[in-house]
Amino acid sequence: MFANFLIGLREGLEASLVVGILVAYLARTHRRDLLPKVWLGVGFAVAVSLAAGAALTFGPRGLSFEAQEMIGGTLSIVAVGFVTWMIFWMARTSRALRSELEGRMAVAVAAGGTSLVLLSALAVGREGLETALFVWAAAQATGSSTSPIIGALLGLAVAVVLGIGVYKGALHLNLATFFRWTGAALVVVAGGVLAYGIHDLQEARFLPGLNTIAFDVSDTIPPGSWYGTLLKGTVNFSPRTTVLEAIAWTCYVVPVLFLFWRSVRTPAPRPTSKPTHPTPDAVSV
Amino acid sequence: MTIARFRAGALAASVLVFPALAACSSDGGSSENATAVAVTSTADACELSATTAPAGPVTFTVRNDGNETTEFYVYEEDGTTIVSEVENIGPGTSRELSVDLEAGTYETACKPGQAGDGIRGDFTVS
Repeated sequence: MFANFLIGLREGLEASLVVGILVAYLARTHRRDLLPKVWLGVGFAVAVSLAAGAALTFGPRGLSFEAQEMIGGTLSIVAVGFVTWMIFWMARTSRALRSELEGRMAVAVAAGGTSLVLLSALAVGREGLETALFVWAAAQATGSSTSPIIGALLGLAVAVVLGIGVYKGALHLNLATFFRWTGAALVVVAGGVLAYGIHDLQEARFLPGLNTIAFDVSDTIPPGSWYGTLLKGTVNFSPRTTVLEAIAWTCYVVPVLFLFWRSVRTPAPRPTSKPTHPTPDAVSV
Repeated sequence: MTIARFRAGALAASVLVFPALAACSSDGGSSENATAVAVTSTADACELSATTAPAGPVTFTVRNDGNETTEFYVYEEDGTTIVSEVENIGPGTSRELSVDLEAGTYETACKPGQAGDGIRGDFTVS
């Protein structure tokens, strides 16, 4: 049961952390009215994943390996784009906070409701199909043993609880600290998602170099261990990382982290005369 | 803003349609005429009910009887190029791997613990 628990935890953790941070962000900027958009995205992703997973598990046709890797890889890379957008959107709010123009914060927050739905859907749906296939396989095994499904669901539940923990913790942080650290954390998460996407595309042979390894620490950090699971589930650390993954990770994390830090450290760049009254969709992206 | 809205809508639609499309375009072969091979993966063994099959669709049903999460791979003859794989097979669960195989020699592998080269075996398709 423990191994199934760890898979559930790993698959759910990253999505739960991203959604936890997003919800905390909306709460801190007094935009709880946008929360339904987040839940819409989450619900949509869960429903589509479960339905597709059930069709593939119980239906006559399986999904080809390449197709599944292409879905996982492509969704991951698209998700990186959205999380990056979220990072700089938060940085902009943080800058506005420093300039002490309350109104600006609301403007920055209002950025695109549709984007919020998509961001939440991608955060959850990126790994959704693989997670659903795993859950349905565990459900199928209930004839002989219920321990796989119990383990899987407990793992997912603990992932959700940890996401709620991040949300609650973030509520008590100083606002500037909140933006700085959640932003930096999201950069590292997104870098991991990018590397993961690259790996999927390498496995599907869409990209070369699957066996050109940068480092392999599988002996020190076994993928089946609880710490290997946590590292994989949060920052997508792969103990056996290809050169292409390592390059992609570095080329993403280093510049984005630099731009993010510079962005949150610089005072507001354009303190215009009068803060206009913010309208919810004023800066829709 | 309208263009942005449209673009976001199109992306949302593609996120929805993508898995459905992929499910239809599956080349995994339908189960009726596929050769069925049962695989049992344990901590130190990877047993296949058959190590030969006629060319065409083959469905491996991989059952994990070990204590660790396992994976199952079909490699080309070189033992490194992945033809197909299935991950996240938790203890006590079974997952299917459907793949179209042309005549030739392949290598199969179970990877209990999701690491290392795995437990290898030859698989011949004629």
